[in-house]
Amino acid sequence: MKKIPIIFACVTLIIGYMAAVQFQSHAEPETRDTRNMADLRQALMAEKERQQELNEEISRQQEILNQLEETEDVEDVMADVIENLQEQAGLTEVTGEGLIIQIDLEFDHNYTGGAISSIPPYLLRLLINDLNIQGAEHIAIGNERIVSTTAIREANGRTLVNGNWLSYFPVEVKVISNDPESLHYAIMSSQSREMFIYENMNFSSNPVDSLTLPAFDKNYRTRFMEPVQEGS
Amino acid sequence: MWLPVLGLLLGLILGFLTDIRVSEHYAPYLSIAVLAALDTLAGGIRAYLENQFDEKVFITGFFTNIFLAAGLAFLGVHLGVDLYLAAIFAFGIRLFKNIALIRRLLLRKWQG
Repeated sequence: MKKIPIIFACVTLIIGYMAAVQFQSHAEPETRDTRNMADLRQALMAEKERQQELNEEISRQQEILNQLEETEDVEDVMADVIENLQEQAGLTEVTGEGLIIQIDLEFDHNYTGGAISSIPPYLLRLLINDLNIQGAEHIAIGNERIVSTTAIREANGRTLVNGNWLSYFPVEVKVISNDPESLHYAIMSSQSREMFIYENMNFSSNPVDSLTLPAFDKNYRTRFMEPVQEGS
Repeated sequence: MWLPVLGLLLGLILGFLTDIRVSEHYAPYLSIAVLAALDTLAGGIRAYLENQFDEKVFITGFFTNIFLAAGLAFLGVHLGVDLYLAAIFAFGIRLFKNIALIRRLLLRKWQG
């Protein structure tokens, strides 16, 4: 009977050894930062920009809060805020300087494919992404205002924006921007233009001093969000 | 009673000191071997408390279980079936059962 603890000890020793080896092999190798100076600077710049944006947001909210606290008549301030939010959400017409992009078909003479009836959705998305990257503030395709929940998809070989058919060629994209000139140059040399050419289309853009974008005329479909009750 | 605990500590220290690392491919085999060993240990303790302990059965069971489990995992990898799940399932269930039995036996002993 004296042997039993020794046997157990041997077995636990083996278990301990195996567990230790296992722990060691599973220990996360420390991830090394391999970014160089330029990458780090860029990352720092991005973070600083973000910080500035957040600070601006905070000060704006603070201002609204101050206004709400100071004024007796809260309704005016609230109306202002709602109007502002509506403008941001694309529920109002907006007018300003911007860019009109005209998308049209452009075949080279040995084109052999079939007829093209509308712009493929992925191209429109690409264009919108490029525009947003270059600092577009409001965008409308044809008469459809692009908002954060806009769906661009294809049904029966035609492209739908906000659930409405896109008109035939030429299609007009209106963009409002603070700096239409640079947006114009950026978009004319953008990658999306190459993709349009690849799909036998082309676009031209011209900056204009004043243009009006239609409002988003449908109801926002809000899912996964609900108002919080005061005091809950 | 303290000897097995000492063995465990010694094994852990030895393992950490020798600085052996298993490549990622073999890590599942090792983990399943550890599970098999733990299962056998729990079974051994239970048998000891029930006064049915047989060292030959225990030692052969210990090594066969380890190699069987690792072999099963190996076979599973080569057949494309996750056979190690079977081993984990079997050992896991038995481990819990044995630990529950050990708890009961200890409780009974403690109560008189």
